Amino acid sequence: MNLRRSLTGDPLAGLLFILPAFVALTVFLVGPILYAFWLSFHEFTFINPDLSKFVGIDNYVRMFQDERFQKALLNTSIYSLGVVPTQVCIALLLALIVDGKVRGRTFFRVSYFLPTVTSTVAVSVMFLNLFKKDGVVNQFLGLFGIEGRSWLLDVDFALPSIMLMAVWTTVGQFMVIYLAGLQDIPQELYEAAEVDGAGPFRRFWHITLPLLKPTTFFIVIMSIIGTFQVFDQMYVISKGEGGPLDATLTVVLYLYNAAFKEFEMGYASAMAFFLFFVILILTLVQRKFFGEETRM
Amino acid sequence: MKKKWRMLTALTGALALMVTACSSPSDESGGDQVIRIGAAVSSPAEKKILETQVKEFESKNPGVKVKIEPITDDYLKEIQTMIGARKEPDVFYLDSMPAPDLIRLGALEPLDEYVQKNNVNLSDFEDSLVKAFQADGKTYGIPKDYNTLALFYNKKMFQEAGIEAPKTWAELKEAAQKLTKGDRKGLVLNPELARYQPFLYQNGGKVLDDQGKPSLNLPENADALQFFSDLFVKDKVADVPRNMGFDWSGDAFAEQKAAMVVEGGWLIPFLKEKAPDIEYGIVELPVKEAGKPNSNLAFTVAYVMSKNSKNKDAAFKLIEYLTSEEGQAYVVDSGLALPSRKAMGQKFVEKYPEREAFVKGAAYAQPFQYGEYGPKLTDAANKAVESLVLKQESSAKAALDKAQQQAEKK
Repeated sequence: MNLRRSLTGDPLAGLLFILPAFVALTVFLVGPILYAFWLSFHEFTFINPDLSKFVGIDNYVRMFQDERFQKALLNTSIYSLGVVPTQVCIALLLALIVDGKVRGRTFFRVSYFLPTVTSTVAVSVMFLNLFKKDGVVNQFLGLFGIEGRSWLLDVDFALPSIMLMAVWTTVGQFMVIYLAGLQDIPQELYEAAEVDGAGPFRRFWHITLPLLKPTTFFIVIMSIIGTFQVFDQMYVISKGEGGPLDATLTVVLYLYNAAFKEFEMGYASAMAFFLFFVILILTLVQRKFFGEETRM
Repeated sequence: MKKKWRMLTALTGALALMVTACSSPSDESGGDQVIRIGAAVSSPAEKKILETQVKEFESKNPGVKVKIEPITDDYLKEIQTMIGARKEPDVFYLDSMPAPDLIRLGALEPLDEYVQKNNVNLSDFEDSLVKAFQADGKTYGIPKDYNTLALFYNKKMFQEAGIEAPKTWAELKEAAQKLTKGDRKGLVLNPELARYQPFLYQNGGKVLDDQGKPSLNLPENADALQFFSDLFVKDKVADVPRNMGFDWSGDAFAEQKAAMVVEGGWLIPFLKEKAPDIEYGIVELPVKEAGKPNSNLAFTVAYVMSKNSKNKDAAFKLIEYLTSEEGQAYVVDSGLALPSRKAMGQKFVEKYPEREAFVKGAAYAQPFQYGEYGPKLTDAANKAVESLVLKQESSAKAALDKAQQQAEKK
């Protein structure tokens, strides 16, 4: 009631309240996005904007002939496909553990969450040291007589090593979201199920999991978006090159290099929009898959 | 998700800058002309040199104030957004590699008119350095200083093995073999074009042909690269710093895990600080066979002037001072890089006789730049050697064929 009155009663005040946010979003978010979209149809460089030239969908066509872009897209997909399910499962498992009556659960919650609040650059540097030839990982493997390698310099292992790192750093964040979801489930349902003789597994399968569906949807979407936009880790670990031999080249890293090393802002914008559409489509598919009731 | 924001800001931040650029008035401080100079400052020592030079300049040119704008972030990215917003400094550093692109795109002011007006003699500078900033008969930058490559070797290790510093490829390989022991490698090198290119030219090869088009897959190049990569793969006497757990070969050399490294003058202050006790020698890069021509790379940075500068005459005065004998004296004294003036090179050698190899190398060096093919060609050529060292490819010929294909794409 109050809300309605204020809307009809004094619209000016309301508009004034949203004005700062509206202006800021238009200037710094919507405007630049539209501008980037416009750029994606041009051969454009900031070095000399006067040379900009309309090229239609050439930038988009070029992407599909560009082997390095395809490699970047493949790497990004592999990365996402590996990281998302692992991340979601582990986050759920951890949430279940710290939700239960474990001793010192605050300690566990903090320690699982800690990597999330650490800067990815710092984490990347740490992993560089862990995974180097004489690093901790190899010393540990050495105990079992397994000869290590320079993981992050190996064409086959560089990407998986970074995936491992990504899971470790982001799992805490999703655990916390799951934890909130778990605590939203009414206790009565479990009690009723227990009375009906359902064991822990059936309670999990028939109560916890279905009721966590909206949470899972949210987490999967966020995880997919995050993984498709991965940049920092690769940038730090491969020193901006995406090596060894493009093994860690991701779409965002590639478009960053196109924009800032080769001065091809138009092509970079086109790649950014392609990535945007990929993510959009994946999100829509997810939504269908999880059903309509999971509106965010 | 944070990454999303970063990318959006990166791609579009320039727009925001443009918006603000339209409304903000240019710097004015009490009638003085203000010249802004953009510098990629790599160390406090370097910053101090620039500050001293600028102070000297200001005292000689009353009415002109110089504002140093150090750029510590990704230099090209910063400069690019500044140019896009027309807020770039009047004078700024420019690396030889992106120079052709910036010249082609018309961001730089040709300096010929000012050079003439102020009687600056370009032939006083090392030719290969000046050439790196010329196009279509015009000069767009005056080289500030440069570095070349040389072979650093650990004297103690060489004495123990009873050998001399290598002068030819065969001696290099032999020395590396003798000095590889346990976890110590005879030679530690980055697998990249910036290290193997001299080998190509020493073997009569070329990276760009006479028309300035990529020519990576010449047979001479393939032979030279095969020799280079075999040191890693077949002979196992060379290694990649990161593979040994080091950030760069300087670390390996400082920790005595490398008997030889190929680096530029920047290694000297590093060693002085990190491993002052190591006795090392610096010699010219080995040639293929005695009597054959040598080759080297010149990594150079020039001062260039923005096309949009409002005080071009004063801006050139600053460039002129910074690259004058007097301005370069500071470079000589610091020893950080080599002065770009031929006459100063002599003074540099007098002051630092042990660094003669760098100055000698300049005479036959190619600038580290590949025209408009720059970033693509470097990337493709780096991958060629990487694929050999990582054993993804066994023939240098095949690796270079592939690189050539990539590089040609422009």
